[in-house]
Amino acid sequence: MTDVVIAGYVRSPFTLAYKGALAKTRPDDLAANTIRGLIEKTGVKAEDIEDIVMGCAFPEGEQGFNIGRLVALLADLPLSVGGITMNRFCGSSMSSIHYAAGQIAMGAGEVFIAAGVEGMSRVPMTGFNPMPNPELAKKSAAYLGMGDTAENVAKKYGISREEQEAFAVKSQEKAAAAIAKNAFADEIVPYTLPDGTVVDSDGTPRPGTTAEDLAGLKLAFDQNGTVTAGTSSPLTDGAVAVLVCSADYAAKNGLTVMAKIKSMAISGCAPEIMGIGPVGASQKALERAGLTIDDMDVIELNEAFSSQSIATIRDLGADESKINLDGGAIAIGHPLGATGARIVGKAAALLQREGGKYSLSTQCIGGGQGIATILEKA
Amino acid sequence: MPENTQTKSIKKVCVIGAGTMGAGIAAQVANAGIPVLLLDILPKDGDNRNAVAEGAVAKMLKTEPAPFMSKRAAKLVETGNIEDHLGKVAECDWVVEAIIERLDIKQSLYEKLEAVRTPGTAVSSNTSTIPLAQLTDGRSDAFKRDFLITHFFNPPRYMRLIEIVAGPQSDAGTVGMVRDFVDRQLGKSVVDAEDSPGFIANRVGTFWIQQAVNSAFDLGVTVEEADEIGGRPMGVPKTGLFGLIDLIGIDLMPHLMKSLTSTLPADDWYQKIARSEKLIEDMIATGYTGRKGKGGFYTMEKGADGSRTKMAKDLKSGEYRPAARPGIVHGSAARGDLGKLIETKGKVGAYAWAVLGPTLSYAASIVPEATKTVVGVDDAMKLGYNWKMGPFEMIDVIGAAKLVEKLKASEYPVPPLLEQVGDKSFYRIENGKRQYFGTDGEYHDVVRPEGVLLLEDIKLASEPLLKNGSAALWDVGDGVVALEFTGKMNALDEQVMKLIQQAIPLVKSDYKALVVYNEGSNFSAGANLGLALFALNIAAWSEVEKSVAGGQAAYKALKYAPFPVVAAPFGLALGGGCEVCLNSDAIQAHAETYIGLVETGVGIIPGWGGCSELIDRWQKNPRHPKGPMPAVSKAFEIISTATVAKSAAEAKEHGFLRHTDQVTMNRDRLLYDAKQRALAMVDGYTPPEKPEFRLPGPAGAAALKLAVESFRSRGIATPHDEVVAEQLAYVLTGGNTDPMETVTEDRMLKLEQEAFMKLARHPHTVARIEHMLETGKPLRN
Repeated sequence: MTDVVIAGYVRSPFTLAYKGALAKTRPDDLAANTIRGLIEKTGVKAEDIEDIVMGCAFPEGEQGFNIGRLVALLADLPLSVGGITMNRFCGSSMSSIHYAAGQIAMGAGEVFIAAGVEGMSRVPMTGFNPMPNPELAKKSAAYLGMGDTAENVAKKYGISREEQEAFAVKSQEKAAAAIAKNAFADEIVPYTLPDGTVVDSDGTPRPGTTAEDLAGLKLAFDQNGTVTAGTSSPLTDGAVAVLVCSADYAAKNGLTVMAKIKSMAISGCAPEIMGIGPVGASQKALERAGLTIDDMDVIELNEAFSSQSIATIRDLGADESKINLDGGAIAIGHPLGATGARIVGKAAALLQREGGKYSLSTQCIGGGQGIATILEKA
Repeated sequence: MPENTQTKSIKKVCVIGAGTMGAGIAAQVANAGIPVLLLDILPKDGDNRNAVAEGAVAKMLKTEPAPFMSKRAAKLVETGNIEDHLGKVAECDWVVEAIIERLDIKQSLYEKLEAVRTPGTAVSSNTSTIPLAQLTDGRSDAFKRDFLITHFFNPPRYMRLIEIVAGPQSDAGTVGMVRDFVDRQLGKSVVDAEDSPGFIANRVGTFWIQQAVNSAFDLGVTVEEADEIGGRPMGVPKTGLFGLIDLIGIDLMPHLMKSLTSTLPADDWYQKIARSEKLIEDMIATGYTGRKGKGGFYTMEKGADGSRTKMAKDLKSGEYRPAARPGIVHGSAARGDLGKLIETKGKVGAYAWAVLGPTLSYAASIVPEATKTVVGVDDAMKLGYNWKMGPFEMIDVIGAAKLVEKLKASEYPVPPLLEQVGDKSFYRIENGKRQYFGTDGEYHDVVRPEGVLLLEDIKLASEPLLKNGSAALWDVGDGVVALEFTGKMNALDEQVMKLIQQAIPLVKSDYKALVVYNEGSNFSAGANLGLALFALNIAAWSEVEKSVAGGQAAYKALKYAPFPVVAAPFGLALGGGCEVCLNSDAIQAHAETYIGLVETGVGIIPGWGGCSELIDRWQKNPRHPKGPMPAVSKAFEIISTATVAKSAAEAKEHGFLRHTDQVTMNRDRLLYDAKQRALAMVDGYTPPEKPEFRLPGPAGAAALKLAVESFRSRGIATPHDEVVAEQLAYVLTGGNTDPMETVTEDRMLKLEQEAFMKLARHPHTVARIEHMLETGKPLRN
């Protein structure tokens, strides 16, 4: 079977929803700009691209219609390039990568852009017209708010507020250190606002956050609970693009291969504790790769919440020193549909930077799922 | 004053001085939708040269009560500093100086202003103490022509009074331009003052405060007693005097005293009563400056168990002790019979007289020195100090002759005007017109400015067309009638609905349009809860049901009447008071309208069409997302949290007002504007079409239920909130409808009624109503 490789990763700056620098930017424009940035950075021939696979968790409004195709047109790609919208909530753009990989393995294309976008300022997290099935709502936690699931995980796994806050502080510290080293400059495609302002850095991290700061925050979801805004990923605007192609195509066209996709997996779990979704998915992916968690040199775990991150790390028996080396979503932000591609692209980049052989990228998904991708350094 | 030499309007304003007053004035200009430049000095340190003015705007955005009526208004304020940006004054039509009260600093600013301003640009000072003649000393004639004093009161958004002082050289056109602007655009009521120390309101007000404080110490009256005697019975805000001082800041007292003693002539009566008390000096020195400080004459003490006790300062010992409710003023003396009050035996009468006698005498002594007419003094005190009656209206209640007699007996001075009025009164009604007693000894009509129409005046000259215990209908001229609520707090009940039903055929046959308007303290705080509770307590369900149906029928009859209906809300317009507005063709709102559907606070939901009207407004808002849910979610959010808009501008943001609805800044112009709005709709008027709704049905209700559950776990919603919210969600989502079906307005009203009745029978709802009636506060059960 053809090897599928990651040959490029970029993202937009991540900024806070509603108040950040990109709050007034249409998500399709942001995604198109990011994709142009990826093409420029990798030097891939645009006419070779089979499809734009665009992850988006609430594909309506300005990120509605078929945003995959629209972004291809906005980015002035050749008309031959297709576009599809992929929705698996927070796992959307990791699924974009999986889809591209599957297509390549099937011989249904050689080069794909797997991307993701979420304009959380502009499309609310429930969409504009939330209309749950009343019967399902009665019998299942399918529609339960994400914060409530984080509280459920904290309770079930006995994770204290202090532990969650210590984890969040660490995420902020790692992000701050990365910013100080200019570690994101490589991956960020700047965005120029209509007034000429260039947005070229993240607005999400809060460097200098201390445990005391967090201890002073109000409980965000349950007055008797433990989860606060400080131990949750912030609502974020952002877009991500990853170049996925066959190893042959990369070699023929002189693209820089970052990593090879070793295995992938999806796994469902109980919706009310959706935060432990990564456990089942990662175990499946590890088994398929014939590896164990200890074989992983780099782990990118989406920090939807501190509580579910800690629970996942414990259940997987993962070594914390390998996790989210440049900070996670609590600091960097979580534009729902864009995150999955970011943590796969980031893992590939970290394998390059840090050395080591294997990486695991995994995340939880609302409604009760997990998704995981294992890469092998090129 | 020279003749009117120009007619131009104010399109941009500059306010110099970003202290409380200057910043507040700038905010009110912005509230009127007019761009304003706010300048102050350079900061002592730091790189940001505009820091002082910027800081003032930032602070105002956090201040309560809010100086800005909307966030949008705040964006109209441009900040700067006088070193770099004074040149921008050239773009402004009016410059308001509100800097420190120092003559030399003001004069030096005017000198700089003279160099940069465009000739014809009005310049005014917000001084409260410095005579106009001194301010313009050394300036050119051209500058003097464009100069006047505009004395605002704190806080400028909420205090309706402005005193305007024009100098002998002031140009009538310039003064007229500013006068018109502050009246129509800033909504202030202008009182013309002469160039005399303290002008009008502060001169009488400071005397009154001083005399009331002195008398409390001299007569051994406690602060609670003083406030009970000198508060409501005298028509002074219910805080009473010491409560008022706590509110404005005790540390302001020495400033007021100093500014008046330094500018008033030595033989002025105030000079004799001005004194400071050691106890008050100590309070200020130790930070007990009132509500803004550690405490004042009153303070709330928190117990270990979290309970709060109101404490009062003992004027003798200086210690706090639990505040008493003296209960010493009884009968008509407690209800505004001032003659009775000052004749009451014992300390009540003694204190009342010690305060009122000198204050009224002093007020009578400043006409015409401080303002030409008694009306000026009365207006200034009513608008600037929130007195219910002006000093001369109070004198009429006591009787001028009786007052003179008593003043003489107490060896207080008797000013000439009081002698002159003799046994007549300062006001009388002649041929349906209100007249005042002039310093020429003659009576003159009280003339309203053009565009001011008051029901108060109409009532003097006519009888109501219809009237019952809770409402009345008045002919307000030009074929327009006004529907007035007259019950206690303008509460709405079956009588109001009955009158509406009677008014419709009458207006249809004999008139052109109807406005819903009144001149109470508030437009209407909603349905009569007392009656509702009574019916609920005796389980008179059919009565309750009838009153819901009756209100729906009356409001819809208004909505679909064959003539225009304009509602003119002001102050509180809550519950049923809000719904009558929602059912009108148009709303002409006073800028200070606090409108909302607050029914959930007492455990019910809007029952007179409020639910469907609010959805209809949000569905028709072109900027709101489409589909079955967005309008429903918005209405749910607003109603379930009992949201009350804090201004007419905010009411537009919440959808209580449509974007075509209009706002009147000056309360006195509301009826006139509403009437004009109604008349403009008369030609070719057709009643609105009945709205139809596409609603989400049970799927939408399920989404709202999830949201409420999360509010519950966050501790924001209470158990009964959840019950009420479920019923509200059922109504707003259209009951058991399907998104493919159309829900009629009549069906929505039926759903409202059913849900209302379910909630009305719930014991927790009854508990909420009871609690509201007893405490005035919502019960969070």
